[in-house]
Amino acid sequence: MSQTEIILKAEGIHKSFGSVEVLKGISLEARKHDVISILGSSGSGKSTFLRCLNFLETPTSGKVTVHGNEILVRNGKPQNVRHIEEIRARLGMVFQQFNLWTHRTVLENVMEGPVQVKRQPKAEARDKAEALLKRVGLEERMGMYPSQLSGGQQQRVAIARALAMEPDAILFDEPTSALDPELVGEVLKVMQDLAAEGRTMIVVTHEMGFAREVSSEVVFLHEGRIAEQGPPEEMFTNPRTEVFERFIAKVM
Amino acid sequence: MFELFSYGDTGWGDEILRGLAITVQLAIVTLPVGLLLGFLAAFASMSRLGPLRFLGFGYTTIMRGLPEILTLFVVYNGVGLLLNMALRWWNPERGATDFSPFAAGVIALGMVFGAFAGEVLRGAFQSLDKGQTEAGRAIGMTQGQIFRRIQLPQLWRFALPGLGNLWINMLKDTALVSVIALDDLMRMTKVAVGVTKQPFTFYLLACLIYWVMCVLSELVLYWMERRANRGIRRAV
Repeated sequence: MSQTEIILKAEGIHKSFGSVEVLKGISLEARKHDVISILGSSGSGKSTFLRCLNFLETPTSGKVTVHGNEILVRNGKPQNVRHIEEIRARLGMVFQQFNLWTHRTVLENVMEGPVQVKRQPKAEARDKAEALLKRVGLEERMGMYPSQLSGGQQQRVAIARALAMEPDAILFDEPTSALDPELVGEVLKVMQDLAAEGRTMIVVTHEMGFAREVSSEVVFLHEGRIAEQGPPEEMFTNPRTEVFERFIAKVM
Repeated sequence: MFELFSYGDTGWGDEILRGLAITVQLAIVTLPVGLLLGFLAAFASMSRLGPLRFLGFGYTTIMRGLPEILTLFVVYNGVGLLLNMALRWWNPERGATDFSPFAAGVIALGMVFGAFAGEVLRGAFQSLDKGQTEAGRAIGMTQGQIFRRIQLPQLWRFALPGLGNLWINMLKDTALVSVIALDDLMRMTKVAVGVTKQPFTFYLLACLIYWVMCVLSELVLYWMERRANRGIRRAV
């Protein structure tokens, strides 16, 4: 384990929906440059866990710390609510359904966060947005509306939108699951580049290739708990638990 | 026959035009009042607080259940009475003050518009893409920013057809204020009919004017809907 700066720390995250306990105490630490893939079959709670990290879902209990902003949750009530927006601004998020703002152009989508949340001057935000869109290969599409783009292009805009906030870490919630198979590659390519330049990423995914080759750590969730966790190569070649062995057999 | 509509002492052109001006003013002043009430009603009925929800739904249910003309009478007479009581409590020397029929019209029509608009807006809110709201939260926007920057601009797309209907309805409902002696288009038409004994001519003229106003409104609405739908792929 590298001893670099801890970017994000989640401790004992519990989440119940009504009487169903979806997360049964999950702890996770992301250090700078970590790329953590979260795997698990559907219903294992992996998306819910990711959404608890930026409080799109309020945990029932637990603690999340991002860059000194600590939020403790007891009985479904976060203790320092004003830290929530700060944490969100520091964690980018990329959704399965892209969730671009349909009434704004590609460029406006990317500029929105820096201008509205970080209060950057428009000209500066525009320059940065243009550079980011160029990086994800969409400089030709800046004036278009999201509905005029393919799914893969939309997801790349969404990644640029997350990057524009200069986040400490980016959360990816099944970023390729809603894409046509032939469009998955272009999005994975961008994510791979981000990993290569040392971005901290937490990725909920079904892409075993990405988990195995790109991530520095794999976390396998089973029934709301971490069943297995470790470096990808070791886990995939030599699974320690039966549930993970069965999982790989099914998906690979 | 055309001198009937001429401008000046001999014709009715200027009276009718003045009536039209009142009608248009009334409708235009009522619109923001009604929209404001509509938003308040929509927020109240979507609130997490029980009493507020009760208030929102109560307002909508009551207003939608009353004939517009009755609402108008209640507002005109009732509010006028209250106003006079309040004024006399303030200054007992004071004589009776007449409550402006224009204000009564704005309040009554606005309350009716608001009740229906509340439901239209509530429906529009529920049609919004939740994912886009989440994207706003995930980037650190405040609730107010999300409302102004993401929800409101897209709300019109779902609300405009319904609100357009309400606007046209309200435009025609302004004719009701002629019964509380506001000199709107309808009342001036009736006066002209009374004097000239030519009901067909003047009623037909009024029909034409109301219809032209509706057609103009539809044109504006069409343009607004196109604007609200920018970025949306044409319905398949």
